[in-house]
Amino acid sequence: MARPEAKLKELKPADLKHQVGARRDLVVTVNRRSENRLIAYGDEYLYEKLPIGTRVIYAPPPLDELPDPDQAIRYALLRPENADPLFAQLNPNMRVTIAIDDISLPLPQMRRPDIRERILNQVVQTLADYGVDDVHLIVATALHRRMTEAEIRRMVGEKVFKQFWPDRLYNFDGENKSELVMLGKTDHNEDVWLSRRTAESDLVIYVNINLVPMDGGHKSVAVGLAPYQSLRHHHNAATLRDSHSYMDPTRSGMHRSTNRMGRIVNEHLRVFTVESAVNTRMFGPTLDFLHKNEDRFTDWDRTRLKGFRWALGNMTNDFRRQVMYNYSSPYGMTGVWAGETEAVHQKALARVFQQYAVPVKGQSDILILGVPFICPYNVNSIMNPVLVQCTGLGYLFNMYRGKPLVREGGTVILCHPLRDEFHPEHHPSYIEFFHRCLAETTEATELEKQFEEEFARNPTYIHMYRYGHAYHGVHPFYMWYWGEPARQHVGRVIAAGCEEPEVAARLGWDAADTLDQAIAMATSELGRSATITYLHLPPIVIADVE
Amino acid sequence: MSVSGSKPSRNGRGKPAPGAAFYDLDGTLADLNLVHAALFILTNLGEWHRRISSIATLAASAPRLYLAERKDRRLLNQVLFECLKGVSVDRLVELGQEYCDRVLIKHLYPSAIELVEANRKIGLEPILVTGSPDFIVAPLCRQLEIRDFAANRLIVSHARATGRLAQPVMAADEKAQWCVSFATQHNLDLRRCWGYADSYYDLPFLIALGHPVAVNPDRKLRAAATSRQWPILRFDKSTDDESDDRSGAAILELSGRSADGAS
Repeated sequence: MARPEAKLKELKPADLKHQVGARRDLVVTVNRRSENRLIAYGDEYLYEKLPIGTRVIYAPPPLDELPDPDQAIRYALLRPENADPLFAQLNPNMRVTIAIDDISLPLPQMRRPDIRERILNQVVQTLADYGVDDVHLIVATALHRRMTEAEIRRMVGEKVFKQFWPDRLYNFDGENKSELVMLGKTDHNEDVWLSRRTAESDLVIYVNINLVPMDGGHKSVAVGLAPYQSLRHHHNAATLRDSHSYMDPTRSGMHRSTNRMGRIVNEHLRVFTVESAVNTRMFGPTLDFLHKNEDRFTDWDRTRLKGFRWALGNMTNDFRRQVMYNYSSPYGMTGVWAGETEAVHQKALARVFQQYAVPVKGQSDILILGVPFICPYNVNSIMNPVLVQCTGLGYLFNMYRGKPLVREGGTVILCHPLRDEFHPEHHPSYIEFFHRCLAETTEATELEKQFEEEFARNPTYIHMYRYGHAYHGVHPFYMWYWGEPARQHVGRVIAAGCEEPEVAARLGWDAADTLDQAIAMATSELGRSATITYLHLPPIVIADVE
Repeated sequence: MSVSGSKPSRNGRGKPAPGAAFYDLDGTLADLNLVHAALFILTNLGEWHRRISSIATLAASAPRLYLAERKDRRLLNQVLFECLKGVSVDRLVELGQEYCDRVLIKHLYPSAIELVEANRKIGLEPILVTGSPDFIVAPLCRQLEIRDFAANRLIVSHARATGRLAQPVMAADEKAQWCVSFATQHNLDLRRCWGYADSYYDLPFLIALGHPVAVNPDRKLRAAATSRQWPILRFDKSTDDESDDRSGAAILELSGRSADGAS
């Protein structure tokens, strides 16, 4: 039997050159001589002149990646936080379940080998070395769509796929009643349900990627392997309204709830968490100008930008979407930790904030956000209007700690074409939600009261979730609740570049043909002295607003 | 009238029933089509010479069947059932029961039956709307405890099938019209009803219902469903859990029914 290395030099984290506060040029103010700014606009990019005085916040440059990710993983497994090394927890007769983050992370998909593949290869090998045969791998989809065979193969890698698919590597099914078990209730009376296989395992190993600080921690097992009966306790309008923001787990009602549930899970199960963090290297050498401050563009950058926009503009919508989804990011791993869930998560969070956090002084009256082509729920699919809402008001608005970037009652301008298009196999319940429910009300609590249960129990949607590749019937409600803190906070949302104004109206937004028009609409209400902030992403940035 | 079913319910006028789910049969709930049914009946007719001549007739009409299918589903039904001319009604009823028990039940998609039952539980009463003949559909409905159905009916003369179908032939627009009249009789709000079908010929039927679902759609229906943003559902025997070794009785068990139709 192979033994783990007796002696392994402690791996120091990568040499972190870019410390928070020491980064220059991440918050710039547009002046008369400033260049146009690139703004994500669905699967295209706008290149717009922003008003003088607009504050632009850029993502920090990528942290250096770990020089040898495989060795770092090995080290993490051998020197876990607050836990025995993985090998020391194993015996041949035990039942082990490995749960894995699904396709919603990272975005866009990362170049192979995926971090999960690297981690799984070592975890699976360790289990085999110690004679553990009863091993299942579950993709922790919760109520997300089932991943396809090809998607899973790409994620876990050829070796693990060939060994475990399909009998011992599969998607979680939150509607398979016989495979769910209730573990208990939290002191807030929240039901904690979990996959039966996981609950009956002697050891649960969770393999995660922390793309944003919202991910990981107790959210991994307690959410990823839980059905509707559990999720409804934190994915609801009241809990999400109490989250300021999702990216700040200490001030997020949702995280407080998942932490309570996660602690119940950890009381019943032995959970060994493996968390990893990635840098902001979202685009490779061909497109790395997308990372840059436009004022520092070289002629070569401008040429590439011109070519890039020309190519995107001349593709059909479907083809452009295909091209975008086939792009894979050269993310680098900046850290990996293993062991007890909370200790591991603290370390991962610190690294994630080290990568994304940018100190920003004060709020503004108007916040401009470009909604990109992808969000966690439309990988290899279509960004429908409900998801645009979720991405804009749910994710991008929440890219802050402290205070939101826009003041209370201010205006958010979302740049997206906002087309009435849906993927009928991935998002069937979204279609009915958009055309029927939102036509009656946009009030989250009303939607929850009137329709949520009906959609959650709808047999057709359940069937499509279980056997097809559809998001669960209740999912569009969660997407709507996700935008609730923003809806409570801002006074007005304007969709800039909106191609179908009736779609914006259905979402309760105003529509503008262009960004200029949207800014004019906002300033006509808030006054010409209204301050404007543009959060320049992708890549991801989190504003630490003082 | 080419339709069978129960009498209108006694729901009071102005008080809509909870809703209903209308299902096509061939290709939707079962992975069979009308040709399978016709072949089964013809190969079980009785004397060998009769079987051979019937199958020869069917084979000879294959080009007509192909053209009819391309042109109009109604025509296909008419051409297909011409070959049953002269068969006694008693024999057809017997063969219908046998076909249902021996073939059709086994070819139902287990997950489709699960869906039918789950819909029933939330108040969507199942109704079959199919181009299959009534002597096949009736025993199936008894087994699945489906009270109402619309199916094609052969015109009978002197207790023998004439080979002609009674009007209206249940296909395309007629399915939609039947749903509308059924809803009127039973005080159903079609906007709250669900419809499941697999073929482009069922487009009018699906359009008539508030919640259309394309099931294992053909190329044209898939395109129509995508452009109309209808859900697309897949029933697949190979991916259904343990479906390969599910017997007819096991499938019926899924619906909580026994093989003799008793619940």
